[in-house]
Amino acid sequence: MTVYITSTGAFLPGPAIPVEQVENILGAVHGKPSSLRVQIQKANKIQTRHYAIDEQQQTTHSNTEMATTAAEQCLDRAFIHREKVGMLAVASTQGDLPAPGMASMVQAELELPEIEILTTHGICSSSIMALKAAWNSLRLEEHEAALVVSSELASRLLKKQRYEAATTSTFAAKRIDFSTEFLRWMLSDGAGALLLQNKPAPKGFSLRIDWIRGFSHAHALPTCMSVGSAGRPEDTRTWQDYDTYAEAEQDGALLLRQDVRLLDNLMRMGVDGYLRLVEEGVSKPSEVDHFLCHYSSHHFKNKILEMLDTAGAGIPEERWWTNLYSRGNTGAASLFIMLDEFLRTDEVSVKEGDRVLCFVPESGRFNTTYLQLTVVNG
Amino acid sequence: MNDGEISIEGGGTTTAQENVPEGIVLNSHAQICLQQLLRVWLGFERDLSKVPLLRRIDLGTYTAEDHQIFLRNIRQQVIEGSRWIARTASSFDRDYSEIRSSIISHAVDEHRDYEMLEKDYVASGGQLEDILNMERNIGSEALHGFLMHRSSLPNPIDLLGAMWIIEGLGEKMANSWAERIQEITGLSEDSTRFMTYHGHNDSEHMQRFYAILDSVCIDEKAIKSIVKTSKVVARLYRLQLEEIEYDLK
Repeated sequence: MTVYITSTGAFLPGPAIPVEQVENILGAVHGKPSSLRVQIQKANKIQTRHYAIDEQQQTTHSNTEMATTAAEQCLDRAFIHREKVGMLAVASTQGDLPAPGMASMVQAELELPEIEILTTHGICSSSIMALKAAWNSLRLEEHEAALVVSSELASRLLKKQRYEAATTSTFAAKRIDFSTEFLRWMLSDGAGALLLQNKPAPKGFSLRIDWIRGFSHAHALPTCMSVGSAGRPEDTRTWQDYDTYAEAEQDGALLLRQDVRLLDNLMRMGVDGYLRLVEEGVSKPSEVDHFLCHYSSHHFKNKILEMLDTAGAGIPEERWWTNLYSRGNTGAASLFIMLDEFLRTDEVSVKEGDRVLCFVPESGRFNTTYLQLTVVNG
Repeated sequence: MNDGEISIEGGGTTTAQENVPEGIVLNSHAQICLQQLLRVWLGFERDLSKVPLLRRIDLGTYTAEDHQIFLRNIRQQVIEGSRWIARTASSFDRDYSEIRSSIISHAVDEHRDYEMLEKDYVASGGQLEDILNMERNIGSEALHGFLMHRSSLPNPIDLLGAMWIIEGLGEKMANSWAERIQEITGLSEDSTRFMTYHGHNDSEHMQRFYAILDSVCIDEKAIKSIVKTSKVVARLYRLQLEEIEYDLK
């Protein structure tokens, strides 16, 4: 059974926030501007982003609301009745409630009766896990249509109060703690939704799903991006091992961390996975018309990419497209928000038969995921 | 790298455009070979993270003593390295004279590197006689045996696969390990000169490598032999780092 993405939707909360206003939203820790903000923002090159919290760090939209709004837009644009949707798969790094799964909450808001649900847990690649499960479900002909939603509300983890409360943490101990600040100036909020069907939409472009693959390297590499530990190599406790959650918070075990030293491995494993797909004959670099990458191209401007070009397996930069710089890095939601805009933007010319390669790497513990779509006209 | 820099995240000063090799267009077999060599390298590099001594570099628990242990265990391979490279050069006949010249100059570049390594050892707090008295560990024996065997065969083009791994590691030591080791151990630059030295002339070495690859990798058979040797060397090199002799003799 061939499966198509027949509709998309996206939701970005509040106004677009330019770089110099980011700290007004997230708040200056103890009233002092961050000494790392400008440097990190310069490196990630994101110009504007959105937050579901206001300048008092109060939540303006829950994660469930954002997911639901994106899903509603996706369903409103679809050519089928919502009763046809047999499955809802929802991905997020952290739903509003640790339990039950976020899909339950989104289903309730969407009022989709008696459907099959799936919540995937992870970071950026959790959206691809949800998409793959939904795709497989349609391939097995269990449903005619499935809705896949990914939504992220990272700012709740990044607001100043989190850092101020971490009084005995590595953040409090160091003048500069790169690992806890790096993602603070990188991530932002948003949601995206895709409708999968067993036939293309009668009008306009649909995206046929050709394949979805993933390669995880957790067996070999240390944890790179995480929440739940204090970030000291000798301390094996995780947040639930502390006597109280308050102690875990004080110790910085609830801060979002990124070991930037290990990040280089993500590009390397990304290249390895792609070369594997090329070796298997699954992907042909010369046949890729558009490359949608969750990472921005400038991160890849290094030796390994030059080697890929020399080896004849590179994808020319003019085929790369992203909206990361204007919509922000919304983690798991990024690719869906990107696909939604890709089909509507004037920046690229999309035509029937075009092949779209998507790459979503997750630095958590190095999971690299890839998919290929082909543009079809209904 | 230290905490205040973001070189990993593209904050470095070099861009792809500045480093792009000039005029290198590999033949299609060499391209396929390079694709496969890249995968062998990336797998090797990833699996080095599982080697206990090296994982401590990733985790930040590597000590000055670990550094001494590391240097003691790779010295033999560095000494023998110049021998197999010189032997490789002599195994190429007149049809490969260009390659022979290139390899000879490479051997000249590196044949006394071990002296630098010994100085690093002393700068890290070790006693010179301790490192001089070290024998090859089990992995070094296997690696040395394999390389001397292959380099004794006529026209051993497969050894390009060995150079790929060993040169790659030199570059990794210079760009990923040296500064990190100084940072977490408190050792000075004098302790990592052997590592940093290998980062120099790096792009020149790559050009030389690409040129040789393009000239010798002209059929399926060549791809297979080069890639296989790179896999064997990657495995044996890792074995050498897994079979670390922790104690002094």
